[in-house]
Amino acid sequence: MSCASAGAGRTLFKLSPLLLPLIVLFAGGLALAAAQSFGFFLPFPYEGGTLDAYRKLLEPHYLASAGLSFFVALTSAVISVAVGAVVAYLIWRLPDRLEGAAVIYKVPLILPHIAVAFIVLVFWSKSGVISSIGYHLGLVETVSEFPSVLFSGNGFGMILAYIYKEIPFTILLAYAVLKRMNPQQIQTARMLGAGEGRVFTRIVLPHMARTLHTAFIILFLYSFGAFDIPFLLGESSPGMLSIEAYNLYFRRELADRPAAMAILTCMFLFSLGFIWLYTRVAASMKSRERKL
Amino acid sequence: MARRLLTAVFAVLLICMAGCGGPDIADEDWLEKDFSAARAAAEGSTVRFYMWGGSAQINEWVDTYLAGEVREKYGITLVRVPMDASVFVNKLLTEKAAGREKGTIDLLWINGENFKACREAEALFGPYAEKLPNYNQYVDKELAAYDFGFPVEGYETPYGKAQFVFEFDPERDNGRPGSFAELEQWVKEHPGKFTYPQPPDFTGSAFIRQAFYAVTGGVDQYLKGWDQELFERNAPKLWEYLNRLEPYLWQGGQSYPKDVAALDTLFARGEVDINMSYHPMHAQNKIMEGLYPESVRTFVMKEGAIFNLHFNAIPFNASNKAGAMVVANFLMSPEAQLSKLRPENWGDFPGIDVSRLSQEQREAFEKVDLGEATLGAEVLSNAAVPEVAAEYVEALEKGWEENVLR
Repeated sequence: MSCASAGAGRTLFKLSPLLLPLIVLFAGGLALAAAQSFGFFLPFPYEGGTLDAYRKLLEPHYLASAGLSFFVALTSAVISVAVGAVVAYLIWRLPDRLEGAAVIYKVPLILPHIAVAFIVLVFWSKSGVISSIGYHLGLVETVSEFPSVLFSGNGFGMILAYIYKEIPFTILLAYAVLKRMNPQQIQTARMLGAGEGRVFTRIVLPHMARTLHTAFIILFLYSFGAFDIPFLLGESSPGMLSIEAYNLYFRRELADRPAAMAILTCMFLFSLGFIWLYTRVAASMKSRERKL
Repeated sequence: MARRLLTAVFAVLLICMAGCGGPDIADEDWLEKDFSAARAAAEGSTVRFYMWGGSAQINEWVDTYLAGEVREKYGITLVRVPMDASVFVNKLLTEKAAGREKGTIDLLWINGENFKACREAEALFGPYAEKLPNYNQYVDKELAAYDFGFPVEGYETPYGKAQFVFEFDPERDNGRPGSFAELEQWVKEHPGKFTYPQPPDFTGSAFIRQAFYAVTGGVDQYLKGWDQELFERNAPKLWEYLNRLEPYLWQGGQSYPKDVAALDTLFARGEVDINMSYHPMHAQNKIMEGLYPESVRTFVMKEGAIFNLHFNAIPFNASNKAGAMVVANFLMSPEAQLSKLRPENWGDFPGIDVSRLSQEQREAFEKVDLGEATLGAEVLSNAAVPEVAAEYVEALEKGWEENVLR
């Protein structure tokens, strides 16, 4: 035991050039954000009480923002993981010849998020490409009759951008797992009379489950906290939490900064809580499966 | 292995620390000395100019004309650092809080709330304005005494003037409103064709301020400084007015363009029919860039058009205060102001008082062709109404979020 801990200590020491900056910068930044949310270490005189910033977050506007962030993150992550898993399976089933051609699904992966946001903006805005095509095909009388996909208050534009970016990500992960799966399992199931749906839910899906859970957590947390796509495609009211924090910090009075820090601190705590809860739920689902 | 790594890390740290030194001319107290001394000391130095970098044209003017002139005249190397004002103000406040004596910023482009925030944190150098000969000679000191109602007290020097105008395209046949009262009518007749940038965007905030003047009986009552009681009595009229507009705005008022650049795009694409700008020559510039059709024109509302000055300021910990003073002084010179006024260069109205110039210089200013789309100086100055104390600006932005947005 003592030998093992000494070994761990040595490993930690060897890693210290990497670990130290990480701990100092990350933990230090986090601690500073939390401290500022309580009104300490601010570069200007602050008169509010210790919990004022958090009290402010209870206003309906910020609760609605949290709701929107949650909705956008959940919807985009669920759609991305579901579609990504199915597509990965379909690609895996392609004949080898075509499998190579399927790399085009990786294109959105190399685009930065901000570029994807622009693509969505150019295609889906009222004066965008899709609406012009609709107009020329005679589907709408005037361009302004085109339904408001973007900026209509339901976060739909952001969800579009996220799933465009995230489906390929899920495919990438799920496909790598499928590559290691033994195709004979499926052939056996087929021989025993399992249908297409049954093969997918009982063999393929359990095989990918762990990876899909991981992908879901990554995608959910990313869309929950990201800034770039909401900055271009976000609605005004309620806004995404990241935008609200940005506005409070940069675009308002100095006295609003603790509230911005409080949002960030809450988002961090929520993310931790989400990971904890999700892994527990996923684990309990798995153990129930085993009992069956 | 580990030791070698640690040594390498320390070596890198040492090199970094050594690099932070360098020649310094900051230790002198330039407020005690003559401007000529600062000018002599600035020769061969570098001035880092932190400014909003969102306009390619302005950047170009700073990089070519301004940088070229100060190098030729004073041997100063000008480095433009593009950054949003709120970001560099934040940087400066952080440096102030950390007690950093030698900052990275020498000169700022600043005004309004950002100036107020810096002054309140005592993060600016000064009062230096009276040290600059061009300030004493050309600036209308009464006009430049307040920045959004906040006393300037020599901590910043003006170098440009902006005024709020609306833009429309007569060829779209939708006409235009002539006043804020008519605007309500116009918006109801043309649903979805009007919106404004979401405050606290600079332009959007100026728009609601003008509407505030217009629906509450003029600006004069707000010029005596912040009056909470007056604000609370009058602001509901503005919220009512804006809420009456809201259902007829672009996207039914569900969303507002996040900044004025987003509104520019909507206007250029024809999603909305009225645009607004805090720069009287914005439309002309866009026409010259080929982004707007030639037929676009500007107009002001009957109730008046807000104007303000923008300024240079020097941080308390600037490494090169002497050089910053020389550049700020040059920016107030008639030649720099004239170059800045030309629409092909920037098209920014003079921050100095043109009537104080010689006959010859005045004529040069009058001869500048501001373009078909730009309103004449007389129309603009007749419509000019001042900005009010920053407390009003903040209260209006906050009130807008609570009463109109939500």
